[in-house]
Amino acid sequence: MSDAEDEDLTAIVEAGEDAVDRSVHPSGIVPVLQNIVATVNLDCKLDLKTIAFHARNVEYNPKRFAAAIMRIRNPKTTALIFSSGKMVCTGAKTEALAREAARKYAKVIIKLGFPAQFKDFKIQNMVGSCDVQFPIRLEGLAWQHGHFAQYEPELFPGLIYRMQMPKIVLLIFVSGKIVLTGGKRREDIYQAFENIYPVLTEFKKLAQPDEAAAAPKALPAAKGKK
Amino acid sequence: MSLELYRRSSLGMALTDALDELVISGVLSPTIAMKVLSEFDKSVCRSLRASKVKASVKGQLHTYRFCGNVWTFIVENAIVNIADVDVQSKEVRVQLLKVVACDSKLGDVSGSV
Repeated sequence: MSDAEDEDLTAIVEAGEDAVDRSVHPSGIVPVLQNIVATVNLDCKLDLKTIAFHARNVEYNPKRFAAAIMRIRNPKTTALIFSSGKMVCTGAKTEALAREAARKYAKVIIKLGFPAQFKDFKIQNMVGSCDVQFPIRLEGLAWQHGHFAQYEPELFPGLIYRMQMPKIVLLIFVSGKIVLTGGKRREDIYQAFENIYPVLTEFKKLAQPDEAAAAPKALPAAKGKK
Repeated sequence: MSLELYRRSSLGMALTDALDELVISGVLSPTIAMKVLSEFDKSVCRSLRASKVKASVKGQLHTYRFCGNVWTFIVENAIVNIADVDVQSKEVRVQLLKVVACDSKLGDVSGSV
């Protein structure tokens, strides 16, 4: 990730929620990144048993899983280390932290005497979440967006929305809580949310806190006409 | 085969020392001494399995490791609670506790040092 992007991120963080950049987030809501999965190639064969034996916080049970599982506390992440030298780092909250964590794992492996490099670091997945703070009529949304939406409450309580542009999967819950996943860039997560937000407002469940005052008045009137 | 984990316990160390002495003074042959030790391994597991005492450990996990079917934990500010069925439970506090544990099904034994 470039430095320019880094500065951009810190700017948002420092500004806090009060000063959301409406040109990027017209909804006024910024999805919070919850998890980032990244891969990196250490480009050397690794003896996982040696790693498990000498490093701290490692699990290695080849009968169950072919990789060694290593964890560090800061940034709080987990790495899957494969004997091919490929590594998957999960759990970081930002791109920069994912890279920092992956570097730390590489450093641990180098300290154990392996000629590890740091090649092809790539973010594979990002998960963000946010709360629109109003309940949503999932059935209605599923009906109108049948092409993208899948809602089977008996299988899963959330609506699964497979957005094509950007290619992001959204889990939309009745409560108004949204999970966005499948992105490789945070911009995609943000864009996906901005795309769906107007749809969510359209399928806002009525007769809830905000509408409570308006809805009951409207209903008796309608009845009276009949 | 039983695990030789408990040879490092105070009981096991004392037995090893005593056997060493006997072997050096020529009273016992090394083969017999080894046999005694392997019998010790077996009896420790047997009696630990029969024991109804339950122990729990609480504290901050500093390090863990799982390698070669052995779990190693280093626990900081550990509180070990030993609850016997009829006797009052006992609490032991230690700054640093190292737990080494194996699968009880593997070597016919589970345990900690």
